[in-house]
Amino acid sequence: MGMREKSRGFGVLAGLIAIALPAAAHHSFAMFDFANTVSIDGTVKEFRWTNPHVVLLVAKAGGAPDAPEVWSMELTSPGNLTRVGWTRQSFKPGDRIKLEFNPLRDGKHGGAFKQATLLDTGEVLRSNLREAEKPGLK
Amino acid sequence: MRYRVLEIRAAARAAIVVAGMAAAAASPAAPQATLNPPPQPKEWAALAKLPDWSGVWTPNVSDQEARITRDPVPWTQKAAAQVASLTAAEERGDPKGLFVDCLPEGMPTWMLITHNAFEFLFTPGRVTILGEMDGNRLRRIYTDGRAHPADPDPTFHGHSIGHWEGGTLVVDTIGVLPEAYIAISEAVGVPNDGGLHVVERIHLDSADVLRDDLEITAPRVLTRPWKTSRLYFRQRARKYDIVEGVCLQGNFSEGVDADGHAVFVPAPQSEGGNVLPRDQ
Repeated sequence: MGMREKSRGFGVLAGLIAIALPAAAHHSFAMFDFANTVSIDGTVKEFRWTNPHVVLLVAKAGGAPDAPEVWSMELTSPGNLTRVGWTRQSFKPGDRIKLEFNPLRDGKHGGAFKQATLLDTGEVLRSNLREAEKPGLK
Repeated sequence: MRYRVLEIRAAARAAIVVAGMAAAAASPAAPQATLNPPPQPKEWAALAKLPDWSGVWTPNVSDQEARITRDPVPWTQKAAAQVASLTAAEERGDPKGLFVDCLPEGMPTWMLITHNAFEFLFTPGRVTILGEMDGNRLRRIYTDGRAHPADPDPTFHGHSIGHWEGGTLVVDTIGVLPEAYIAISEAVGVPNDGGLHVVERIHLDSADVLRDDLEITAPRVLTRPWKTSRLYFRQRARKYDIVEGVCLQGNFSEGVDADGHAVFVPAPQSEGGNVLPRDQ
């Protein structure tokens, strides 16, 4: 427990350091390893429908309930996802999903979203804009 | 009799116009005409004859990527070395990220590499392009016959004048900030360094594909004008609109302050700009 508190304290500090960096959001996706696909089962914690990158936070299944292992998935923009059929209701906190993603190269708990299957309905959500580049789609 | 009066009036008007032109030519200090005169009904009617560019235009990303190889950029030797270094950094997954500060991509990069959609508005004397991202990007293209200002204030999108040649909108852009990138991806590109001039010929390639033929002159980083094209497509059967695109919003998450107000709070991110869970 003490260990967990310590690591949480570090998390806040790390967060503050990250904020202080001149980092922002409209970035290249090269920090993700597109040669690797990782698959995990988890529960949606948060679905941030924001520009420039939509973010999906997923608690990996099997973790401690009070300290879940959270993975952050980045997607393209709300506008781009709208054009491949998504809405800001596509995921809701508590949704159980099977998630596939290209992981961050630095080993941190993040990745580029590839595909998710909603385990309760079987619905599959994909975000590849290149799959919808042809005009005249229904 | 009535016709006669009209003829006289017309002749008098013509004389006034000619006299006015002569006066304007003779006197460089003549007062300027109104910059944005009230549009006349015939100008509104003329809009109906323009091609139909309505709807939401989405860039063809696969085509953007293919064009970089097909229409290689004539970089100067120095710029080419920097581009090679940035390309290598991107390939090994350590990108600098040209737009992580959320400043506008500007011209010509918006037209070259964006993944985000835009729309056209036709109004008398102007074509306006509104897009998602960069805090809602915007280009104003004056089609009222005006010239560029002699010394335009530099901006991310520059000063654009345009005219129609049939169904093609020809756009001439100068006055772009030297800091604005000529980019071939979100991680690879160099600032134009000044003197940028972009000529575009925008036209329908087929019913739902719009094509922009660009000629980009940037004497400080290109050895000759770079000619390339980009394609954008629209989906008539799909129901979506342009949405708001505030780039900086991604730096924050939604929170509640001590007074119970809904506020934005900074979200932790890596140096590369991607959002991380709070414990990372």
